[in-house]
Amino acid sequence: MDGHVSIEDHSVEDGSRTRNSGAAKEPRATNPSDNDPSTPMAAEGAGGPTPQPPPGRRPLTEEERAARLEQRRQRDREHMERQLEEEEELVLKYGAQHVIKLFIPVSLCMLVVVATVASVTFYSEKGIYLLYTPFHETSDSVAKNVMGAFVNAFIILALVVVLTFFLILLYKFRCYKIIHGWLIISSLLLLFFFTLLYLMELLRGYNIGLDWITVSLIVWNFGVMGMVCIHWQGPLRLQQAYLIFVASLMSLMFIKYLPEYTVWVVLAVISVWGEYTVWVVLAVISVWDLVAVLCPKGPLRILVETAQERNEPIFPALIYSSNILYSSLTMAESSTPSTSTTDNGGSHDGGEAVADPLQQDHHAPAPAGGVGRPTISTAPSSSRRRRSSEAEAGFGPEWEAGRQQREAARQRRVAEHGEASAPDVAGGGGAQQPQEEEDEEERGVKLGLGDFIFYSVLVGKASSYGDWNTTIACFIAILIGLCLTLIMLAIFKKALPALPISITFGLIFYFATSYFVVPFAENLASEQVFI
Amino acid sequence: MDISRMSNTKKLSLCRIYFFAGFACLPFMWAVNAIWFLREAFFKPPYPEQKQMKRYVVISGIGSLLWLVAVIAWCVVFSLKRSEWGEVADKLSFIIPKGVP
Repeated sequence: MDGHVSIEDHSVEDGSRTRNSGAAKEPRATNPSDNDPSTPMAAEGAGGPTPQPPPGRRPLTEEERAARLEQRRQRDREHMERQLEEEEELVLKYGAQHVIKLFIPVSLCMLVVVATVASVTFYSEKGIYLLYTPFHETSDSVAKNVMGAFVNAFIILALVVVLTFFLILLYKFRCYKIIHGWLIISSLLLLFFFTLLYLMELLRGYNIGLDWITVSLIVWNFGVMGMVCIHWQGPLRLQQAYLIFVASLMSLMFIKYLPEYTVWVVLAVISVWGEYTVWVVLAVISVWDLVAVLCPKGPLRILVETAQERNEPIFPALIYSSNILYSSLTMAESSTPSTSTTDNGGSHDGGEAVADPLQQDHHAPAPAGGVGRPTISTAPSSSRRRRSSEAEAGFGPEWEAGRQQREAARQRRVAEHGEASAPDVAGGGGAQQPQEEEDEEERGVKLGLGDFIFYSVLVGKASSYGDWNTTIACFIAILIGLCLTLIMLAIFKKALPALPISITFGLIFYFATSYFVVPFAENLASEQVFI
Repeated sequence: MDISRMSNTKKLSLCRIYFFAGFACLPFMWAVNAIWFLREAFFKPPYPEQKQMKRYVVISGIGSLLWLVAVIAWCVVFSLKRSEWGEVADKLSFIIPKGVP
């Protein structure tokens, strides 16, 4: 549910658009100058009489007319083929570029999480747990802890499934206001309250004193700017930075509030076995992701298809976009300018733009200058939303809410975002607008914020054990997984879950490194054998 | 958003909104406004809305600088005098650092 990766491919739409407009223009252009072939064409069907040629022109013979027609058709076909080839090349070419564009935010997010976990002990302390993980791994028996971990994971998964379906129902019945309100409250909570907590722990960790006045000023500014950037309009880099920050905050919350052994020092030996829940949750979630996205009856697929049918843009605040989509039309959802593209490429995948969210954020204008189709797309990437905290034990199930939204957003985003014909959705005005205005769209890669979060949770958890080898190994594993996912995306041109591959690699690398590589390296170092 | 793709009136209205919003104790918004629209207002060929934009950018920039100076001054004063002020300082404090001041 979290990892959706999709590539927005407007080039095909552009191509089809140009194709269509080109094709449309040709007959128009030739009509005034070349009455003879056209009128006989129209008249051929009816078998009407040959029209009088305009004075000063000799009538074309049938063969010449047919030849000319044939030539025109041939030209059109070649033109189309050439464009298709170009587009295919472009897709793969930009696929690689966008992979790099995604590496940076993912790495930044993980960096923030690792830096925080390493320096601020708050996030590695156990003590309070979410209401939803009743088994706190306090027993001595390994088997019991494993069982407890699995039960916790399945409780959480069940919650996520329920909330996802709830979100889909809301979406299907067009209760957009509820969803919007929910998202806004979540981002408010995240941007203000959790930032305050984060700031507090950061200051406490570095033993810096601050007064209420300064703190409230900082948090107020930060929060308001964040809301504006994410939900409305703001500089792209800033939006992306906010999304990365928000994703890191969520990851830190997960790292803290999923159960682990509480007594580190006393149970040092057992703590090696202790954090089953986190790992099991990660594994289970990636399986769920796979199922939900790829299964025909999966909830996320339903969302995707519904969004496709409705040609609606994806909610902001849940995806990070590597490019910005620009649309001259205003969308029903004010914060989500969608791309207007024509539906000519109806058969093609179109929608898969993979970008990433929250964010986002962001970036550089189209590299497509060489093709003469510069497109810039702005997809509002947004932060995750969270519900207001309900659980007494801690921060409640926000992350589940966030996840569903993430999934939903991902789904929709992933879906035919690129194909969506914004004019239809925006309420009619766009239909009148010329297609050429929409040339300002760029293919961007979108990645769900949930993906950011879980990548960061994995790396943060790995780093909380203090071993840098493991941390770096996990980091590289995740990047490799992301690379592979994006390659698959370029090949399959469908919405893909971004979690399974990366998390699998990450888990394998983590356990392999911590159980095999680290003792091996230590032994080698202690014997002074260098390889 | 990529402002290079926006129409001039839209840019101006965005600049204006950021400017007026900054009056709600939001120097960060002013700073963002100044930096974001700096190139638009000063380093682009002139267009009708640019004059007003220049004004907004300049005032936003100056405003945010003043706020920055004020906040830094207050922080310095507070951290130096915190222990002397006793109870008032404790009430004002968000985090009280450990150790001897």
